[in-house]
Amino acid sequence: MRWIIKLDNGLAWLSTFCGWVACAAMILMAGNVFYDVFTRYVLNDVSIGMQEMEWHLYSVVFLLGIPYALRTDGHVRVDVLYARWSDKTKAWINLIGAIIFIIPFSYLIWKYGYAFAVESFSMGEGSADPGGLPHRWIIKSVIPISAVFTGIAGLNMATQALRVMSGEKTYEAKHGAEGLA
Amino acid sequence: MIGMIMFGVALLMLMFGFPVAFTFGGVALFFGVFAEGMDLFAFMPYRIMSVMQNTTLMAVPLFIFMGVVLQRTKLAAQLLTSMGRLFGGLPGGLAISTILVGALLAASTGVVGASVVAMGLISLPVMLAHGYDKRLATGTICGAGTLGQIVPPSIILIILGDVLGLPVGDLFKAAVLPGVVLIGLYIVYILILTRFRPEMAPAMPDDNNKSRSKEIRDALLAIIPPLALMVVVLGSIFAGIATPTESSALGGVGAVILALIYRQFSFKMIWDASKDTVKVTAMVFAILIGATAFSMVFSYTGGDYLLEEWMLALPGEKWGFVILAMLVILVLGFFIDFVEISFIIVPILAPVAEALGINMLWFAILIAMNLQTSFLTPPFGFSLFYLKGVSPPEVKTTDIYRGVMPFILIQIAVLAAIFIMPEWFGMSSSY
Amino acid sequence: QETFTLRLAETWGPNFPIFGDTTKNFAERVEKMSDGRLKVRIDSANKHKAPLGVFDMVKAGQYDMGHSASYYWKGKVPETLFFTSMPFGMTAVEQWAWFYHGGGMELMQEVYEPHNMLSFPGGNTGVQMGGWFRKEIKTLEDLQGLKMRIPGFQGEVFAEVGVNPTNIAPGELYTALERNTIDAVEWVGPALDLRLGFQQIADYYYTGWHEPATELQFLVNKKVWEKLPADLQEIMRIAMRTASYDMLIHSQHANAEAWATIKEKHPNVQIKQFPKEIFQAMYDANEKLLAEAAEGNEQAARIIESQENYLNQSRAYTDISTRAYLNTMTEVE
Ligand code: NA
Ligand code: NA
Repeated sequence: MRWIIKLDNGLAWLSTFCGWVACAAMILMAGNVFYDVFTRYVLNDVSIGMQEMEWHLYSVVFLLGIPYALRTDGHVRVDVLYARWSDKTKAWINLIGAIIFIIPFSYLIWKYGYAFAVESFSMGEGSADPGGLPHRWIIKSVIPISAVFTGIAGLNMATQALRVMSGEKTYEAKHGAEGLA
Repeated sequence: MIGMIMFGVALLMLMFGFPVAFTFGGVALFFGVFAEGMDLFAFMPYRIMSVMQNTTLMAVPLFIFMGVVLQRTKLAAQLLTSMGRLFGGLPGGLAISTILVGALLAASTGVVGASVVAMGLISLPVMLAHGYDKRLATGTICGAGTLGQIVPPSIILIILGDVLGLPVGDLFKAAVLPGVVLIGLYIVYILILTRFRPEMAPAMPDDNNKSRSKEIRDALLAIIPPLALMVVVLGSIFAGIATPTESSALGGVGAVILALIYRQFSFKMIWDASKDTVKVTAMVFAILIGATAFSMVFSYTGGDYLLEEWMLALPGEKWGFVILAMLVILVLGFFIDFVEISFIIVPILAPVAEALGINMLWFAILIAMNLQTSFLTPPFGFSLFYLKGVSPPEVKTTDIYRGVMPFILIQIAVLAAIFIMPEWFGMSSSY
Repeated sequence: QETFTLRLAETWGPNFPIFGDTTKNFAERVEKMSDGRLKVRIDSANKHKAPLGVFDMVKAGQYDMGHSASYYWKGKVPETLFFTSMPFGMTAVEQWAWFYHGGGMELMQEVYEPHNMLSFPGGNTGVQMGGWFRKEIKTLEDLQGLKMRIPGFQGEVFAEVGVNPTNIAPGELYTALERNTIDAVEWVGPALDLRLGFQQIADYYYTGWHEPATELQFLVNKKVWEKLPADLQEIMRIAMRTASYDMLIHSQHANAEAWATIKEKHPNVQIKQFPKEIFQAMYDANEKLLAEAAEGNEQAARIIESQENYLNQSRAYTDISTRAYLNTMTEVE
């Protein structure tokens, strides 16, 4: 049991790390869009590179946000029955769901996303538009990276479920808008 | 047929309460791998990439960020309670204020995820804190938040313009009146409902220390800053300063500036707001990704051809055709994403409609109203999921499902009205 | 007899006029000519969701064929740029002559070969219009800082003369132009532009020079191609070639019709041509960018040279035939 707790905490740390990167990207993105509007309207200047940076950052926000939201149980559930179930039943649902849904799904996205990014890297792909960003593979590789971390967060969901089953931990009212002010 | 079975299984699986996004993805995985093999999922990176490059969806995190900052700085609560106070002893004031704020947001974005979630963050806590009925509160938010699809600018209208070959400008103009009527009817509904059931939407408490006129003045003063922010967001689109998507970033930055003015600003507040934004955004996009896997399996296993077949079997007489087409779209809207409907079904209907001498503009507005409804209809209405995702735990999925019913009925009523008396909405049913 | 079904991914939506008709036309012909032995199943952008993933998907064999435009792949393989249409380049007829008689096809296969694909001309739009402008462009000065939606190499040429190329999501183009968020939009030609409604919000419609003969492409995965028996390959070749030709005449027809509609229903729209000063600046910018592209890229240099030589030779004849004839027509009432 001790090692499961350790593993659980370690995996949770990885998801939190993803969240940290996504949060930073979020603030940068808001600033980026504002800056682009400002330079275009006030200074009459446009940079397609900066415009492309917007969707690069926005992609990081949601792709790395997904594992983070998994750890904080921020993904919406249909709770018609779920809310009434005991922690133990919930743990079973989460354990099985993580193993048959999240981990295989993440695996496939990782597998094909990796090939997708490698192809882009091998061609030296960049933007086709004037002043656009080079190195398209960087943003494409966020897809498999996100999949790896989502898979890890899935594993984490399983370890958490095991802790709950053993009675060492509870789910509290930990779903939906947990963490929102 | 696999596609149809998959819907049934997904529906069943959702009931277990596992996160919606991964239930979609997981069910799609089983059916996809079973029917087409693992390599079908080689399409997934492309699909995810198309979400990444869909810059219109950037409005989602940006609007959420604005909503969260307004919420954390209590400015949203102040806006809504003050607006509610203006209604004096009249119950339902908060709900009506929510609808009005929703209309403002609707005019500045065409992305439903953005407006529903922002509205959920801004007004749900306030309504619940003032003793509103959970169903009324959530229904109002879903209804108001989904207005963005019919009130221009609107993604549905742009897609329909493309698919039907109609100028977007004409569609936008034609959609204004139906949008306004819808907003009006929502308000009328709240007024009627609260007349008979005032306990569902208690009036704002009187401030006994203030005279009514002072109360109104204070309320107006409190409303102005956050309302000005929304007007600025909207104004920036009209003035050509920003595109609709970019305007949502102005909203976020504007909210931060308001926080500074009200001495609520701290770097921690921004960081926390960003964390909330990331979580909620991830929730919305995970659903989009799960749903795109789902629709991938649906169409690659022949679901799109099946739909085509059904569409071609519709009657060839004008009124029968329109009524059945609308019914089919409504029912499919329960299950299938509006983008799929616009691209798969509408192109099949369009030439038939044209041959029957149906006015395409009228037809397009009917479809748009219909598709807007699909965001609200259980079990797969995305608005419902999004709102659930930002609701406190005491709000159950069933509350939202039931709360949204009257609003669905209102939408269907307006749809019927446009159908029966197009002239009233400035259109005609035929050329 | 063995039958084959090829899956084709196109960059366009399912009912995108003219472009989408081209693939349907191709698929129908192939099936008829082969007496059902060869079928083509078309998947449009709404199904595969990857309008600009067609290159990768055909390369990887996820699709057997694609229908797209070569210049979209410029960010992946710079030399693909040259097989669609170049600013101040050849007309449709001249360019087809280059492809089929002037060594263009060989050069194109040389570029696509390392990516396990064959590329074939796939339909021409004819001369594309220069774009919708909200104010008249009289001098080079008027172009300075002008915000315009104009992608790709063409955008680079515009940027050289002072324009600010700007990215706007297609769904927001109309609103952006209407509200002056941007000043100009380049799209295709009357038939397709009319659908987006630009005639309602911009008065100046400029004539084109930047894409005089936009040729789409059919991409075929090489392994798939090699598996086809020789007669089916020939059927494919003929069907692609007729589809390409059919698209040019379809474009001519639809554009002429749409232009008549614009003239009748939108008298606000004025046709304009850039003044000589601007054309000269654009021409010089184009030459400069081509020289840059050729530098240190032997293959690109060869393609550019081949196109230049062919254009010079071909144009001299076009001048005394088509141009002379069109000039004659302006002499009489
Ligand atoms: Na809207
Ligand atoms: Na063009």
